[in-house]
Amino acid sequence: MSSSYIWAVVAFMAVANYAVRFPPIAIVSRLRLPEQVVRWLSYVPAAVMGSLVAGEVLRPAGEYLLTLRNPYLLAAVPTAFIYHRTRSFLGATVAGMLIFVGIRALLG
Amino acid sequence: MRGVRLGLPIFLGYVPVGAAFGVIATTIGFSALQAVVCSATALAGAGQFIALNLMKEGAGVVAVVAATTVVNLRYVLFGATLSPHLKGMPLASQALLAFTLTDETFAVNVSDRRTGASSGASMAGVGAIAWTGWVAGTAAGALAASLIGDPSRWGVDFAMPAMFTALLIALAEDRKQMVVAACAALLAVGLPALASVGIAIPSSWLIVIASMGAATLGAVVLR
Repeated sequence: MSSSYIWAVVAFMAVANYAVRFPPIAIVSRLRLPEQVVRWLSYVPAAVMGSLVAGEVLRPAGEYLLTLRNPYLLAAVPTAFIYHRTRSFLGATVAGMLIFVGIRALLG
Repeated sequence: MRGVRLGLPIFLGYVPVGAAFGVIATTIGFSALQAVVCSATALAGAGQFIALNLMKEGAGVVAVVAATTVVNLRYVLFGATLSPHLKGMPLASQALLAFTLTDETFAVNVSDRRTGASSGASMAGVGAIAWTGWVAGTAAGALAASLIGDPSRWGVDFAMPAMFTALLIALAEDRKQMVVAACAALLAVGLPALASVGIAIPSSWLIVIASMGAATLGAVVLR
């Protein structure tokens, strides 16, 4: 893999990732949005997190893992519960990772 | 400072995953400097890992960049969703904030916004600490690849899912939001099964399609 190829990918990735981030903020924040659009946008955060969690937990590495021996699923449930009780992202993330390591070891 | 505290869990989650990126990048031929610059300028999480996969297979620059961009198209939604809260903010501040927009900073800022205490400064703090974690993790991984060994040993595989799970609980706060999140989850898991009837949806589009579909359902049916 040549160094110039890697640098080219790095440079274009930087530009491309900024291009999907900045223009929507710059443009949309200067518009008056219709109420329907605002309502639609209010559902986006929960929808994105719902689809991310479901994908990561039920299809880890892009393959279905719909069994009870799925360590992602088994660790996600207590993680959700811990966050619900403590309201601490830090606590829930750390606890979740520890629980995951433990469950994976138990499942062998 | 408030923002830094809010962003601390993101930092903690990003360090190990960033380290995993550093390890894998240097394994396939990146120098430590290239790995760190990539993380510092793209801050693209999953998009960066996908890029490594494609590069390893010898894909061209355009193909690699296109794939990571499509994966991160959801940032367009994030930017649009945040923007009503950023009215009146100077363009330069918006430009800085956009730079650190990720799944996690977005979700933390949106959920903080609902408490009413969020400000431009707290958002900047969240972004700065998240960026620092991602870049520091990448540097550690790239420089100490041989010491770290296989990153998955440390539970890194679950760092992102754990964070997403907590953020989901934080954001799905009322019944309508829960219904929308559940629909998005069903779509994200169900759509790939359509491949068996000949409808193959590229995995890089899944999150965008599932979340736009569910949000539309919410806006039209639940109002």
